[in-house]
Amino acid sequence: MTLPAREGAGIPGGAGHVAQAISPAFEGLFRAEYARVVGIAHRVLADQAEAEDVAQDVFVSFYRAHPADAPYAPAWLHAAAAHAALNALRGRDRRARREAAQAVPIDTPAVDDDPAYIVAASETRDEVRAVLARLPERSAAMLALRYAGLSYAEIAAALDVRASSVGTLLRRAEDAFRRELR
Amino acid sequence: MNDTEIGQALGTAEPQVNTDDALARFRARVQSEGIAGVTPVAHRRIASRWLQGLAAAAGVVIVASALTLSGVADSVLKIFEPKSVVAVPITQSDLNYLNQACAGLNLQDCMGAYGTFVWTTPPQPKEVQTRGQASSETGFAVQAPASLPSSVTGSPRYGVINRSSATFTFSADSTRQAAARQNRTAPPMPANIDGSKLFITGGPAVVQIWGAPTGATGATGAYPDVPTLIVGQAKAPTISSDGVTVAELQAYLLSQPGISPQLAAAIRAISDPSSTLPVPVPAELAISHAVTVQGVQGLYVGDNTGIASAVIWQKDGMMFEVIGSFTESQALSIANSMR
Repeated sequence: MTLPAREGAGIPGGAGHVAQAISPAFEGLFRAEYARVVGIAHRVLADQAEAEDVAQDVFVSFYRAHPADAPYAPAWLHAAAAHAALNALRGRDRRARREAAQAVPIDTPAVDDDPAYIVAASETRDEVRAVLARLPERSAAMLALRYAGLSYAEIAAALDVRASSVGTLLRRAEDAFRRELR
Repeated sequence: MNDTEIGQALGTAEPQVNTDDALARFRARVQSEGIAGVTPVAHRRIASRWLQGLAAAAGVVIVASALTLSGVADSVLKIFEPKSVVAVPITQSDLNYLNQACAGLNLQDCMGAYGTFVWTTPPQPKEVQTRGQASSETGFAVQAPASLPSSVTGSPRYGVINRSSATFTFSADSTRQAAARQNRTAPPMPANIDGSKLFITGGPAVVQIWGAPTGATGATGAYPDVPTLIVGQAKAPTISSDGVTVAELQAYLLSQPGISPQLAAAIRAISDPSSTLPVPVPAELAISHAVTVQGVQGLYVGDNTGIASAVIWQKDGMMFEVIGSFTESQALSIANSMR
């Protein structure tokens, strides 16, 4: 696979760069990983629009500095999704947090249309976001990745920990989460 | 709160995304903001530069080994035998100096700047077809990783190097002449070093390479000119001396022009030079730290972006190394799965 122009000018950031068409390899990576990257961010933010914004930023960061066919690409994207979403979560102001709570119906099955249930769920999930923001970075990222459906092996690759340690680290993260949530 | 409830708290429904729309949005942003991507070619050059840095640094091992050899006075044969490894930072100025001094980093030429290097049993690398053949050629059980990351596929190629030995005789005349060729003046060689001998042995060794260039599509296809995984195993090298001491050699060789203060300090800091193998690490390109691997202390060297990682350790008289485009945890997993 080759890309037109700029051969040898591999470090982006210099003056006079001209944007190039994205490569088939990058498009393949984007298509393969976009939903999962959004899913990870969504576990943290509980807001699809915000999660998709995070996903766009994550792919731009990767695109600037890494080749699409790098073997570590998926793991890099997963880790970046979790960390970028946690950063976004911590950066929210009160108004944004209220908006996030109101976004709950997106996650709620259609049958649960009891207003009392929705309000209770909203409050819980608002609190959940606050707990995630307070947890240590790795614990919060681990929860986001695990509950977005990543395997232990994928979590290990993303967070650069041993696969054999993921179970223990995940249990600790869950314990910390429970303690914070009470 | 059980696992299911935590899952529910974090949201159980997958967001419905439109990837086509998202991709169009990405394209528009790249275009409007003039964002340029990294080409695989350029990235390979970064990897290539890194590997070249390591390869060049490997030339320093010869110097570094000479610095740390165990030649203790009053003894004809004191053996240097590494039992542990330690990183020493090699700066670009060290590399430039060695590039000049070593005339392309050929071992013989490099040593030739300080004396006469003669192979008594030269290394004769050859390729064999199976791990069993590699074991019988080397006389030790060749270990292989039991688990590999998904990026490493296919079967390895096996290279075998016989046990090799060489003699090196320090020469004040050679040193003066080598310095003169570079328009430099070398510090005078102490009289007791002039004419003293080092006896160096290395190997046998086995190198297993996955994704090696074969002319056909490589194991990865993505990096056809960079192997995906290299695993090395060798009998630990030994160096003997006929009298010169470690302290004398250190003082002399570290006084050479071009050796950075950083490298000199790191070499001097090695507490047990008779059993510590210094591993040169390009200071500007790589990070390194101690790791536990196979139950012993080893060394991790990497650039932290996944371009390349190396794990090096010594166990039961054997040196091992695992090198490839991995994260640290992947490289350690491979290293710990060696059986």
